[in-house]
Amino acid sequence: MFTRPFRFERAERLADASDLLRLHGDEAKVIAGGQSLMPLINLGLAAPQLVIDISRADQGRGARVISAADGYLTIGALVTHARLAVDEVAAGQQPLLCAAAARIGNSRVRNRGTLGGSLAHSDPAAELPLVMVALGAEYEVSNGERTRPVRAEEFHLGFLTTALQSDELVVSARVPSLGPGWGWAFAEFSRRDGDFALAAAAALIRSSDGAIIESRVAVGGVSDRPIRLADIEAALSGATAQEASGRIGAIRGISPVSDTGASAAYREHLAQVLVRRVIAEACQRSEAA
Amino acid sequence: MTDDGSTAANGRTLAVHLTVNGRPITRVAGAHFTLLRWLRDAAGLTDPKYGCGEGICGSCAVLVDGVPVSSCLVLAAQVDGADVVTASGLCEPDGSLGSLQRAFHERHAAQCGFCTPGMLVAAAAMLAGGSTPSRAAIRSELHGNLCRCTGYGPIVDAIEAAMQADARQAGQTGQPADVAAEAP
Repeated sequence: MFTRPFRFERAERLADASDLLRLHGDEAKVIAGGQSLMPLINLGLAAPQLVIDISRADQGRGARVISAADGYLTIGALVTHARLAVDEVAAGQQPLLCAAAARIGNSRVRNRGTLGGSLAHSDPAAELPLVMVALGAEYEVSNGERTRPVRAEEFHLGFLTTALQSDELVVSARVPSLGPGWGWAFAEFSRRDGDFALAAAAALIRSSDGAIIESRVAVGGVSDRPIRLADIEAALSGATAQEASGRIGAIRGISPVSDTGASAAYREHLAQVLVRRVIAEACQRSEAA
Repeated sequence: MTDDGSTAANGRTLAVHLTVNGRPITRVAGAHFTLLRWLRDAAGLTDPKYGCGEGICGSCAVLVDGVPVSSCLVLAAQVDGADVVTASGLCEPDGSLGSLQRAFHERHAAQCGFCTPGMLVAAAAMLAGGSTPSRAAIRSELHGNLCRCTGYGPIVDAIEAAMQADARQAGQTGQPADVAAEAP
């Protein structure tokens, strides 16, 4: 609680925050909802000289908007988890996102925490980076002068590490809308509601005449970033919902760690169970769709 | 504010104005003050408590513009101009105990008392607008507030009792009682 003093600047536009980041470099940190940065500051793990507040930036502009067009849903970086969880446009276009947002932390975290904050913090157990990777999302990142798209899988590089340059901020994320015949599911396991997940999984499945045509499966909490499971996606192709479970082999390409929360072996077991559950649930929704 | 040896001249202190429990308060404090520290150390309201510093325990919960937040995870400067309600602000206009405060007292919903201000704020948010959550929904929502004494039973009892008292009150004052009963 008794943190090192720092200066505070409010950015009226996201571009102003990038200007300040260029000026102050590593000494500055950006805050929006503060649900990731403030714990680090309170615990003494981050000690910025300057905190740049973007929580009131871009009033009425892109970073606050949720919109659907041309088969895509775009969510502004300053949209809170609480809003995303219940937004009607988002729920209509991509309900997987809303389900994941509703599982974040507790209501206080969701009331302040923002999409851009969660993506830029890139905690490997966080819900939104996982579903973004599963959905094949594309983020718009900008330094105020130059804006570029970055695919979710190329953005989340490792533990709390992203492809953002030092003066860049996430402006929005764009995901494909849920098309006809697609089903979705999200599941996570934590010791207590609201804790970070020991493991989490998300699946999207499109089936026709009882057979899986296309699938997207990803896991979180069992690597230094969310991992898309291409092997399992390939194995599911052509399977009926009944056959799907038998085709899910060992999960490859993950590297769970052992800590006070759980052993690596237990996390791997959880991932296996959750992947089976989300695939079964997504199949059911796909058949009902 | 001289506790950290800084002055307004170097940008390390600033004035923040908040309406706290209906009372306008302006204080100059460290720019790094969380809302919690501003309330406790600058404004002298000691009901919100510092527990974990991570947004998990809920003992620092306050309402900011009507929604619950962890005051340890918000900088006071970020919410300059906001309307803040703490547990002590959940009283009646004449200062007597509000329905939640009274129910917590009558149901013995506090032992050591450290979590109690956050529990009251969480409960106020749950019952806002005449909502009538089920007992299961109350228990589920309280996952964001840790209590190491009571086992939660008396707290859930108190929230249900306050909900029923509010519904009776609404009925007596001529508001349709089903405004509360039909809420989602």
